Amino acid sequence: MMWLSGGFIFRRGTSVYHRLDPRVKLLISVLMFATTLLVRSIYELSGVLAFMIVVAAVAMVLKRVARTMLFTAGFSVFIFVLNFIFTRNLDTSLLYASRFVAIVVSTSLFFITTSPDELEQVMKTFRLPRDVVFAFVTAVRFIPVMFLDTIQIMDAQKSRGLELEKGNVLKRVRNMIPILIPLVVNSVVRSGELAEAMESRAYGAVPKPTSLVEYRARATDKVVALAAAFLFALTAYSFYFVFPARIL
Amino acid sequence: MAYILEIAGLGFRYPESPKKAVSDFDLSVPEEEIVVLAGPSGCGKSTLLRAVNGLIPHMYTGDYSGHVRVGGMDVKESTMRDLAQKVGFLFQNPENQIFMFTVERDIAFGLENLGIPREEMRGRVDEAMRLLEIGELALRAPHELSDGQKQRVALAGVLAMKPRLVILDEPTSLLDPKTAAELVDLVGRLRKELGTTFVVVEHRLDLLVKVADRIVVMNDGRKVLEGAPKEVLFGDEAEAYGVTVPAVTKLQKMLASDGVLPPAGLLGPAELAHAVEGNLRR
Amino acid sequence: MKALDGVSLKIGSAETVAIVGENGAGKTTLVKHVTGLLKPGTGDVTVDGQNTRTTSTAQLSRKVGVAFQNPDHQLFSESVEEEMSFALRNFGFAPELVEQRVRWGLELFGLEEYRKSSPLVLSGGEKKRLTLACILAWDPEVVILDEPTVGQDSIQKEKLAGTIRMLTSSGKTVVVVSHDIEFLWPMQPRVVVMKAGRVVGDGRARELMQDKRLLDSARVAQPQLVEFFQRLGERPEAPFADPLEARRWVEETRR
Repeated sequence: MMWLSGGFIFRRGTSVYHRLDPRVKLLISVLMFATTLLVRSIYELSGVLAFMIVVAAVAMVLKRVARTMLFTAGFSVFIFVLNFIFTRNLDTSLLYASRFVAIVVSTSLFFITTSPDELEQVMKTFRLPRDVVFAFVTAVRFIPVMFLDTIQIMDAQKSRGLELEKGNVLKRVRNMIPILIPLVVNSVVRSGELAEAMESRAYGAVPKPTSLVEYRARATDKVVALAAAFLFALTAYSFYFVFPARIL
Repeated sequence: MAYILEIAGLGFRYPESPKKAVSDFDLSVPEEEIVVLAGPSGCGKSTLLRAVNGLIPHMYTGDYSGHVRVGGMDVKESTMRDLAQKVGFLFQNPENQIFMFTVERDIAFGLENLGIPREEMRGRVDEAMRLLEIGELALRAPHELSDGQKQRVALAGVLAMKPRLVILDEPTSLLDPKTAAELVDLVGRLRKELGTTFVVVEHRLDLLVKVADRIVVMNDGRKVLEGAPKEVLFGDEAEAYGVTVPAVTKLQKMLASDGVLPPAGLLGPAELAHAVEGNLRR
Repeated sequence: MKALDGVSLKIGSAETVAIVGENGAGKTTLVKHVTGLLKPGTGDVTVDGQNTRTTSTAQLSRKVGVAFQNPDHQLFSESVEEEMSFALRNFGFAPELVEQRVRWGLELFGLEEYRKSSPLVLSGGEKKRLTLACILAWDPEVVILDEPTVGQDSIQKEKLAGTIRMLTSSGKTVVVVSHDIEFLWPMQPRVVVMKAGRVVGDGRARELMQDKRLLDSARVAQPQLVEFFQRLGERPEAPFADPLEARRWVEETRR
């Protein structure tokens, strides 16, 4: 659970990368994602991973990204083994396993550098309905709260003799019930309270609400976006025409 | 006298319940008053509050009788959009009324919903932050705030809508005594600066007695006591209805009935000591 | 920044202790260390000879029952009786004993009519009583209450004070973490004052609550009767524990 939080929860940052327009950050992550799908060899993929590390360093989130990479790598061993059993091909198995890591990291990079407010702005740009955007942003805003709630619930139940660390798999799953039920109930109650507060502050009064903050793309953002697109095009071109497929 | 809130013969029954949550309730609150609403758990306070700001009957339907008028507007006949600009509601748990990831954006939430233009919004948000002294929290995230700070943020969001009447539901329950006292002073200050009327639901009366103009006690959906703080706290019934009477008030009452003290307003610990001393020397 | 800094505290059996201090002073953090929910960075916490580093929270809880502030963080069973037997079953109580203790707890807290109801439909006050009943059912030697009076009306607080008196008179150690100085004062407990992770005061309520400077620096309210007592020119040795005591003294002094 800690790994999940390290890999996907936004934390404030002051790097140049953080200050980019969120749409540009999205573009960069999407292009990274696309690049990992285009690679056909482990060498090309390591190039992509190296690039990701460089970006992470620029964004000053290197430690978190490195940790995410490590934990995902542990997971991807499973993919490697499964793939190997069926294809008996070391290189492709390695490729698929590492591709998984790269996909997770490219996604993680977006989420850890983009605040829920920025996420909201991106969603608005894609013309998603207001209710959907609002539900999403509110949900993200409450992630840290639910995290704390879970810990408090676990504390309370441990104090009633619940042993969370002992027992076989079946027992451990059953022991989750005293944790999950209060969590779910609290979430439902919370939704009710939020609904009351929303109504009391005139949610839905006007079909097109105004916005306190406006996001406008600066020259820097446009330049970075262009550079990213260019780099991607170059990479794709080189994969297909300059370095023909080595494996597969 | 201008009454900002007029409740006449209000009765309400939730659909799932055989019993009325509120019955035959009358209350008239003039502008700029601070009214404290008290009563044992389950007495109908929550229902009453929601009937004032419009959640009943607009969000919660049921058996509704009587009238509630806020600033001349009938609550049943008005929309939540109009009501939200007349009545503000600070709910008990500050966490569950902060939606946005940034403080200033949350304060603007209601204004965005009303379609207020950006410049005016900016002005109102800044003003609300100034009133509550939370300017430096503008860009913080809610999970980085203490309970007291969250509450101020939530209150700022309510005040930004410039309501004439503000309801506070047990605002001091999560606060320590010093922070609670600061909140009470804040309410007093806001009343003076903005001319806002406040209806505060509270158990901890010792703190509110300083600023309250009137105490209304409910029990079982009905109004059972109403009057100036001294009247209510000196009466014999207050405690029976779950009202926490402050220790020195109990003492003052006993000494007054013993004939030791001359009649006086509600005295604080120091004033009571002074009065007792004066009497002992005789 | 440390949440707790150099805290040394010894609490013996049958003591009644109040832990006071502003929000963030470290009160709840301290409580969590008692049952091993948090392990100390330096130093040790021992409960009846057991070190919290080497004993699980579940085991420690057999001796120390902690009633947390929010009942909604624990209630989950289909019925009140099941909820009450949860901890008892975890602690290995025999079925007949479980039934006995459940019955006792429900009776003590006036919850028998809700035996088969879902705990989730109870009112706030009833939920608080239920969580306390659940804890007393397994009869721990130490009971810690974290902000038990929040949101309670005076009738409920009276009942709670009565329950605490009952626990103390049956020899249990009771620790109450609370802001509600007026609630604590009549009990005349030992008071531990915390500020910024440290213990800045530890003594009997009668003496400690007279130290205005200490209380102000820790942002702790002074009980009204203590302030009253200090403002009197002529006064008895110790401040009045309740209004009746004060009235009696006034009466006697007048003669």
